[in-house]
Amino acid sequence: MRRTLSAVAAGLAATLVIAGCSGRDLESSNKTEGGSGEQITLKVAFWGDMGLDKLKADYEKAHPNVKIVLNTGEFNAQHEDLQKKLVAGTGAPDISAVDEGFIVQFRNQSDKFVNLLDKGAGDFESKYLDWKWKASMSSDGKQIGLGTDVGGLAMCYRSDLFKAAGLPTDREEVSKLWTNWDQFIEVGKKYVAKTGKKFVDSGTNMFNPVLAQQPVGFYNEQEQLQMDGGPKVAFDVSMKAIDAGISANLASFQPNWNQGFKKDQFAVLACPAWMLGHIQETAPDQKGKWDIAAIPGGGGNWGGSWWTVPSQGKNIDAAVDFVKWMVQPEQQIEVFETVGNLPSQPDLYKDPKVLAYKKEFMSNAPTGQIFAATAAGLKPQYLGKKNGPTRVAVENVITRVQQGGLKSSAAWPEAVKQAEKVAKTGKA
Amino acid sequence: MSLTELRPASHRPAPPPKKVRTRSWLYRFDNKTIPYVFISPFFILFGIFGVFPLIFNGVVAVRNWRLDDPTLTGWAGLGNFERLLSDEDFWNALGNTFGIFILSTVPQLLIALIIANLLNRKLRGTTFWRIGILLPYLTPVVASTLVFAIFFARDNGMANWFLSLVGFGQETPLDWRAQKWSAWIAIATMVNWKWIGYNALLYLSAMQAIPKDVYEAAAVDGAGAWRQLWRITVPMIQPVVVFTVILSTIGGLQLFNEPMMFDENPQSASGGSAHQFQTIAQLIYKVGWKDLDLGYAAAMSWALFLIILLVAGLNTLLTRRIGGDR
Repeated sequence: MRRTLSAVAAGLAATLVIAGCSGRDLESSNKTEGGSGEQITLKVAFWGDMGLDKLKADYEKAHPNVKIVLNTGEFNAQHEDLQKKLVAGTGAPDISAVDEGFIVQFRNQSDKFVNLLDKGAGDFESKYLDWKWKASMSSDGKQIGLGTDVGGLAMCYRSDLFKAAGLPTDREEVSKLWTNWDQFIEVGKKYVAKTGKKFVDSGTNMFNPVLAQQPVGFYNEQEQLQMDGGPKVAFDVSMKAIDAGISANLASFQPNWNQGFKKDQFAVLACPAWMLGHIQETAPDQKGKWDIAAIPGGGGNWGGSWWTVPSQGKNIDAAVDFVKWMVQPEQQIEVFETVGNLPSQPDLYKDPKVLAYKKEFMSNAPTGQIFAATAAGLKPQYLGKKNGPTRVAVENVITRVQQGGLKSSAAWPEAVKQAEKVAKTGKA
Repeated sequence: MSLTELRPASHRPAPPPKKVRTRSWLYRFDNKTIPYVFISPFFILFGIFGVFPLIFNGVVAVRNWRLDDPTLTGWAGLGNFERLLSDEDFWNALGNTFGIFILSTVPQLLIALIIANLLNRKLRGTTFWRIGILLPYLTPVVASTLVFAIFFARDNGMANWFLSLVGFGQETPLDWRAQKWSAWIAIATMVNWKWIGYNALLYLSAMQAIPKDVYEAAAVDGAGAWRQLWRITVPMIQPVVVFTVILSTIGGLQLFNEPMMFDENPQSASGGSAHQFQTIAQLIYKVGWKDLDLGYAAAMSWALFLIILLVAGLNTLLTRRIGGDR
């Protein structure tokens, strides 16, 4: 008995040592809390390059007591990390960027974020695109984020490959080639017949832009699955493209896809504003070979992010101030000019700096004008709670058709079945 | 019974005189308690990072915990486990896991045994060979899997290039991820590549402890190399064989990195377009962090834990029998 007791005592002592260490660490980071005279550190988490380097320096100069720590990472990892820290209740950054693909997931946990309406963010509502403002709003009316950029949607094409296939290369003329998706597929068939190469990168990259153009997506505002509306239209277009043999069947953002750029495996690519950076990075030697035309079927949006402030932070007010400063017009234009992310405030689409901007890599296309037009013309689409998993389920069915495991005629019932399965899970 | 006692004799000092009472207290403390202090860090860490998560996971498994809908909360009882029984995704993942497990473990251990047997002979450059077979084990799994994912690519992949050399799939290259059998083979190849060398070294170290005269006697009696391997070597290294079987069972049933990174679209964690190669570990990750259903994911991981216990126990029994404990 004595023996066990002393063992327990020894164990306790060791635990106390460990606890002591971590306690001290916590204390030191707590020091940043408090009055205006004290030093405040704000950790900002995001992915890729959001053009913050210069903004950080400017802000720190104007606010000597604020130190901003930029923490960039991989797109999915950053979102997952935020989710885990929210569950743990500690460790989240003071400010975190959240992408469109994840905003639904996080707005459902609005209690874990600062309601920006409480901090006077209501003034911004009129400045934002209506749908951008609504997308980050929880069902009980809390605003968890302020919009940074929107994707817009256009069609990037390889003018050199178009020329070789005897197609027009001027962006106005190319836009006229495909006012709707049927025409687009016809152009694709011509291209394939002439060159023997594929035209688009994949069927899913036809499905997603077409779906974005529909008035209702997977779910209506009552959270009911609406497969027979928009999804059916988009699905049919993608099946038609696959049956026509114009798709290279490459999954986006994967090694094969990146290789596809270099090997000229496709000639067009549905591209939001932020995609331009990706093309430039993946195929730097294709400078001047890419150009941008309008997307068939009018406007659309793909991606775009928000700045959110997790409520577990120690310096919430300072964080909110910084976010408000970042979404001011001067800063938004600054970001647009450095990395090309298109602002989500329609007033800026009339700004001469945005309108005059030309992207050298994309054959000097006026990207400001092109993307602003598509983003402003978009009708808001409600994104349901299970939008993300449903999209993955339907995309998987499209991939199965591309892989030959499923006939395109049998694919739609299968897509409905898979989507319903996702919609049903967890309705306890 | 040994003639020499190797353990230090436990001094039992004569009953100490009363004036050195303090010293005797210190002495007893040193003798009885300090050993526990020295081994305690492991148990403390094990408690924090091993036992606690296991128990907490068990608690979560009988609760509803959904991140996408915080209103759904409270005790679920065995509801999550009941759901498991009728979840076709779970059974599909279980089938995939066992398929890949058998395709990887059986060849892996057999080849490791043969390689170890070869390395156990007199060779030139022994160290070179021994280090050489261990190299795949030292490669970070993410790096090697990325390379394999490109190796097994549909277009421009080396595996398809080799196949085309022997006249297969020149017209329509094999899409390794499209079918169950091809995806399983590809993933099992990655696992085998990584672990054969490691197991071979374990076997080799056990083999070196076998006295040479046993082999000499067998050779005199006319047993060939193959017979010696199965009749002498394997029975004599049986404890190590059991150990490797248990380890590969645990590793094989928890397979995650390889199928995850082999997927064309790793973000979805769906293990192929029709879940062709989704393993249980991957499904747990998907249910927890993609579908945001933490309670159900916890129930799945407990189910996986029980399955591993069961299979590891079964494998141990089988290996004991093969090894000659009849």
